Amino acid sequence: MSTIRIPPPQAQRLGAGVGLRAAHYHHFLEMRPKTGWLEVHSENYFGEGGRDLHVLRRVRADYPVSLHGVGLALGSVEGDAAEHVSRLRQLADAIEPVFVSEHLCWGRALGRHFNDLLPLPYTEEALALMVARVQQLQESLRRRVLVENVSAYLEFRASAMSEGEFLGELARRAGCGVLLDVNNLYVNQRNHGSDALAAMDAIPPEAVAEIHLAGHLVSEQCLIDTHGDRVAEPVWALYDAALERFGPVPTLIEWDTDIPPIETLLAEARRAEAAMGGLVHA
Amino acid sequence: MQEKFAAALADASLAPGAAKFFRGAPEEAIARLAVYRGNVVANAQEALANAYPIVVKIVGEEFFNGLAREHLRRHPSTSGDLNAYGECFAGFVAAFPHTQDLPYLPDVARMEWLAHRAHYARDAEPFGASRLAVIRETRWNDLRPVLAPSCTLLESHWPVARIWEVHQDGYAGELSVDFESGPERILVHRPRFRVQVAPLSAGAHRFLQRAAAGSSIAAALEAAFAEEPGFEFPAALRAWIEAAVVIDFELG
Repeated sequence: MSTIRIPPPQAQRLGAGVGLRAAHYHHFLEMRPKTGWLEVHSENYFGEGGRDLHVLRRVRADYPVSLHGVGLALGSVEGDAAEHVSRLRQLADAIEPVFVSEHLCWGRALGRHFNDLLPLPYTEEALALMVARVQQLQESLRRRVLVENVSAYLEFRASAMSEGEFLGELARRAGCGVLLDVNNLYVNQRNHGSDALAAMDAIPPEAVAEIHLAGHLVSEQCLIDTHGDRVAEPVWALYDAALERFGPVPTLIEWDTDIPPIETLLAEARRAEAAMGGLVHA
Repeated sequence: MQEKFAAALADASLAPGAAKFFRGAPEEAIARLAVYRGNVVANAQEALANAYPIVVKIVGEEFFNGLAREHLRRHPSTSGDLNAYGECFAGFVAAFPHTQDLPYLPDVARMEWLAHRAHYARDAEPFGASRLAVIRETRWNDLRPVLAPSCTLLESHWPVARIWEVHQDGYAGELSVDFESGPERILVHRPRFRVQVAPLSAGAHRFLQRAAAGSSIAAALEAAFAEEPGFEFPAALRAWIEAAVVIDFELG
């Protein structure tokens, strides 16, 4: 495991950052607003050239950048993501990201890719598969990877452990970090009564390297993780509890649908900074 | 389990077969599977709309979403990168019964896929002045023009470049398109970051086609003149170098 790069100590001091989306490129290029760091969806920079990659290289000169993947579907029993991993490796080598992250989910089956973050049962079998996949990924990238908990609209009968226990074990066995999405914990608590605080308590404090905050949609059916609104108040309350347990972990505001003016995003990031105790960039 | 779950996402009628894996009442699980099925469709629709913005404008968002849903059923995504999804869309549209009254739509889709790929293509190295010195000493006719990686060509029975033009954001000119204006040949390329669609004369098209296939200037010109005796090569070449369409010349 000696070849795996562990995030530098200053990563702990990144404070709050925001997701970089194309609608805000010009703000970051021209005005360089003050924010701790930026995160992008890795797949949007898989091209060989063009504006997206150009902008990413430019903002990388001004901000730490994290690569957040949405397409590896690590927990899929079927299929092979070798080409996807190789593109990610090229991108990571070019950008030198502060973090590389993916999701605790599956998505490939029946010869196709569903391009959604589908939930896994919390079983030994699923854990063994995830551990193997995460280790492979870390070896290919020669970097430590963070794995994020997802929103789930269904709960498996087969689950033999809680989400928190699964994540904690995954981090321990694979040597990966956890990207803790507090909004997803809240969505799952509302959707099937899992205890968000208990989930956090099951994750070793040193495993959590990044926190995500986002807005969700309350539908008739259930809460849906849309990343299309401000962070909800109960999620901010859970975030306080997360900071208490995990310390001032680098925190990212995600917003992917109905993207608001940049000021709205930066204001959410400032609120996260304030919750961290105003220690960074205050 | 994943295969049964996946089958329920691909086909609603198979949801009852997957419901047993989940806690709660089966009808509740079936309803939640429908949430996932909706997400899968919405993600594919969004990706396809991103690649085919002019088709969306032509048929309207609602119709496009129906088209995209049917396209997903027949041509599901196979990549974790949704920017790679939608290559078969033009062929699908050509065969789709409810778009037959828009016979130009498949070619518009073909053009948009080329534009979508051009958006992500490798950047072109600017034509170096130092290269000109080499070229001056060489017999021009033997040189092989090198096109920028983003460059592709398309021939259509329809005025696709004009359709592209009137659908660009900020286009303020007349909105009419003369669909009888005859066959059109176009170049799709990306000079820097913005994809362009340029109409080409028959000779220019044939020249670039040959150049892309590795022909020398002499061979490409012979083919171009056969197509268009009055093809004005020097002016065309100057414009292509300026627009970073021709980015280098190779010897031998």
